[in-house]
Amino acid sequence: MDPCTHEWSICNVRHGYLVEEFCYECGGRRSSFSAEPLPPIDKYREGHHYWAYLASCQTVKFDLKCGACGRTVNLNDVNGLMLSECMDRDCQVGALVMQQGPGALVYVAICPNTTHSTGKCVSEEGIEALNQYFQARLAPAGRKVTVVPCKLCNSIDKCRGTSIADVGLTDIV
Amino acid sequence: MKVSELVQSTGLAAINQYQDKEIESVYISDMVSDLIASAKANSVVITLQTHKSLIAAANLVAAAMIVIVNGRKPSEDVVALANRTGIGLFSYDADSWALAKKLVKLGIE
Repeated sequence: MDPCTHEWSICNVRHGYLVEEFCYECGGRRSSFSAEPLPPIDKYREGHHYWAYLASCQTVKFDLKCGACGRTVNLNDVNGLMLSECMDRDCQVGALVMQQGPGALVYVAICPNTTHSTGKCVSEEGIEALNQYFQARLAPAGRKVTVVPCKLCNSIDKCRGTSIADVGLTDIV
Repeated sequence: MKVSELVQSTGLAAINQYQDKEIESVYISDMVSDLIASAKANSVVITLQTHKSLIAAANLVAAAMIVIVNGRKPSEDVVALANRTGIGLFSYDADSWALAKKLVKLGIE
């Protein structure tokens, strides 16, 4: 068990672009962070996948550092957060959303490859640190959030929720 | 200064019912990812945005209130989400700079 009662704060703030790609073969989506102002727009093959550029938006990435023990948690594998409004009882995230009381909300941390074909998602230590960081901020206000990895979603691409992303902010919905 | 005092001093129009709390900081931004990385707890968030994404981000950083400038009004689903989070939503007729100047005059920096 970790002996430190962490006091997380944001560090290593990085400004850049979130570039989203779509696979013609499997229908999967994945995203990557780019510090370059020009996204790669050429289609390319990678194993069974055939990736094509879908969209991009400005974004800000960061890590978390504990002021008490000095530990830094790298959040490179978090490409976004989504406030879940899932109502699917068969989905682990949906079931969690429906268990929440007033003032408590569930956010999904979205990893770069939501097909999870590599078996990877947001790291456990990243999820734990995000929960502790946001909870420390919200507890004095009597509010609560739970952050879960996107691998718990039945389908992140079909999930009902509000993505915190700087794209579509001027759309009607 | 409390939210209610700020509302009275600046002529902000309340869009929903708000919880009165102490304001500790101000952050002006139109990027939701930037809000998460930079806004402090109990901030006044000043923005042009009216998207639901704004509320999802402001909730995570424990913002005290959100002021939408230039007289813009959010849609009903945005207000409903703000109500769920307990964040006060306000509208201001002039731009961010005009409001910033007022806040500085009131001693909020």
